[in-house]
Amino acid sequence: MESLDDVIDAMIADRVIHRHRRIWLIVIALVVVLALVVLATGGWKEKKGRTVPTLTAPATVTAGRFEYNFTKAEIRRKPKTEYSAAESVLRVYFDLKNIDSEEHQSNSLTGKLLVLVPGGGKETIESNGGTCRGEINWVLVYGLPPESCSTEFKVDPDFTADTVEIGVLGERYEAVSGVFGASDDEFWQAPEPAAVVRLDPDVVVDNGENK
Amino acid sequence: MKLYRPATILVGVLFVLLGGLTRLATPDQVYDETNVKVVGGTIGEELDFGGSGSTFKVTRIKFAQSVISSRDVDDEEKKALETNGIYLGIEWDAVRGVQKPGTVTPTLLADGGTVYEPMAGISSSGIDFPDAGFAKTGAIVFEVNPADLKGLTLKLHPFMLFNYYNSEIQVDLGIPTEAIAQQMVDNAAPQYVVPDPVTRVAS
Repeated sequence: MESLDDVIDAMIADRVIHRHRRIWLIVIALVVVLALVVLATGGWKEKKGRTVPTLTAPATVTAGRFEYNFTKAEIRRKPKTEYSAAESVLRVYFDLKNIDSEEHQSNSLTGKLLVLVPGGGKETIESNGGTCRGEINWVLVYGLPPESCSTEFKVDPDFTADTVEIGVLGERYEAVSGVFGASDDEFWQAPEPAAVVRLDPDVVVDNGENK
Repeated sequence: MKLYRPATILVGVLFVLLGGLTRLATPDQVYDETNVKVVGGTIGEELDFGGSGSTFKVTRIKFAQSVISSRDVDDEEKKALETNGIYLGIEWDAVRGVQKPGTVTPTLLADGGTVYEPMAGISSSGIDFPDAGFAKTGAIVFEVNPADLKGLTLKLHPFMLFNYYNSEIQVDLGIPTEAIAQQMVDNAAPQYVVPDPVTRVAS
């Protein structure tokens, strides 16, 4: 059984829909025309290329909990011997400082925070982490001055380049999204690109004589 | 049919108020982890680890400007590792009970808020428990900042995949003031030879 409320509601709804019918039609027509105009002029251009700054060494980059000061790069060639095939690595030198002002915690540089950007749509190559004082995965202490460190990228034995590009990624200090309902605890996570540094590598032959 | 009857609105408002009330009821100060019992002590004190019959003791601490593994001392090619800060070697003695204690993550906490992690590069540096019925001595080395040494505490946090009742060891390393910290840095040895761990029968 239809109540009086329902009847009145229906009447009001009817009025509201009809009152602005012409304006609605004009608005919809305008949107359609706008879409056609945008399509006809070639549409919006998708942004291509990098969104982070490209720097040339020597360059200082602050990303996440580390501050880098890139100095030089070397392509180290290990010639073929009787027992092993020829190998090449790209070694990049930098001063590294722990600037973790959130947790003040000692930390070592993980390999995925520095990547070699080969360009030409090729996949990036991860580094092998931070090597300082001759020790791989050196633990850097918050509050101490920078250490001179290096990292290595595995490249093809015949790799040559006048300029190499190193991508620097920085982690962010934040909590896991509330959608997952996990917790409000913030931690360093989810590295995202911070900068690209260009270096001109020298070629060094590494015949195992001087380490 | 009417959607918003006064009763409906009232129930809605009530839920909102309830939500607010539960937030008020949360205590201001809670334990970081309610399932972890903290066992505190000082240098030379045998500390019970998790009621498992295992004990842990810090026997001495040593500040040094460089460190080298005892295996590499005679090797002429190996050089001692230097630092921009200072090294702290902590020598420990652990006795293992019947129940296997879990893996521990050692960290050093200072009053200034710095969290130090064990250094890399000396393979014999670390803390672990021997087999049941045995005792083990060893050393763990930290690279530390001379400006933040006050209140240095060694913390052994158990690694747990899921939460259960466990204990954590905290050893006060006896640096109550800045002056004492400075004194220890000034008197730091030029080199610390990190001893290899030694296992013996528990007496």
